[in-house]
Amino acid sequence: MLIRIIIDLLIVGGLVFAVAGTIGILKMPDPFSRMQAATCISTMGVLGVALGGILYTIFVMHNSAAAIKIVAIALMILATNPVGSHVIAKGAYSHGYRPKKKMDTDDLGRDFNE
Amino acid sequence: MQKTKGPAVVATFLVCFAFWVLLDFSFKAEELLAGAIVSLLVALFASRFFIHEDAGWFFKPAHFLALIKYWCFTFIGELVKANVSMARICFGGCTDIHPGIVKIPTEMKSDYGLAALANSITLTPGTITMEVTEEEGQNYLYVHWIDVKETDPEKAGEAIKGTLEKGLRGVWQ
Repeated sequence: MLIRIIIDLLIVGGLVFAVAGTIGILKMPDPFSRMQAATCISTMGVLGVALGGILYTIFVMHNSAAAIKIVAIALMILATNPVGSHVIAKGAYSHGYRPKKKMDTDDLGRDFNE
Repeated sequence: MQKTKGPAVVATFLVCFAFWVLLDFSFKAEELLAGAIVSLLVALFASRFFIHEDAGWFFKPAHFLALIKYWCFTFIGELVKANVSMARICFGGCTDIHPGIVKIPTEMKSDYGLAALANSITLTPGTITMEVTEEEGQNYLYVHWIDVKETDPEKAGEAIKGTLEKGLRGVWQ
């Protein structure tokens, strides 16, 4: 019974961060900041839900093979997600996209666009 | 592009085979044999893209333990901290942000170290690595930061990647 409560808390915790990321995606003013908020979903959201899933497969389903697969899924998301974020941000920037509100500092523009 | 080398093929083969066993999770002889053949083919083709430095490097226990320690303690701690502050910004209506791109110097030298550091920075909410450059032997990262507190390169670097880089220096140089 206690383990079910822990599992539920982990999954709900992950979902709270996913909701925060979704609000950020909808309300942030420019694409770069929106991607920052989306990172919330793919780190704490995925980690919380995956940890809950691992405990569920081990203690409720008694199936450790499935647990190892969930570990592999979480590691894969953590390994591949930053590469995508980096390329999207760099592509948007080098394609000429700039936030409407001026950024506080812009070292990349200072060093490459002159 | 470098040539295919023996140790690199062995290391790639071991990683591929471990992944096959992980996903398949059956230990019959024919399944393992099929996995070994596929892994060997993949290793012959892909090892020169996969491994650029010393191939046996990752299988030394000290490095492996340092990487596990980095992942389980240093990185997770930073991740939770950054996530909580990001969630606070989002639930607060996303108005309290000061985005900007800062250029920070890094001590990392090797390709793997730079990639791991850049990916760790991107994975923490609030910072995204946008470009890696080298100037006069010193490597620099351009980081998009949602809440710019410091514009001085050294101080900004300390705030963004101080603990992450300390943890990673034990694994890569």
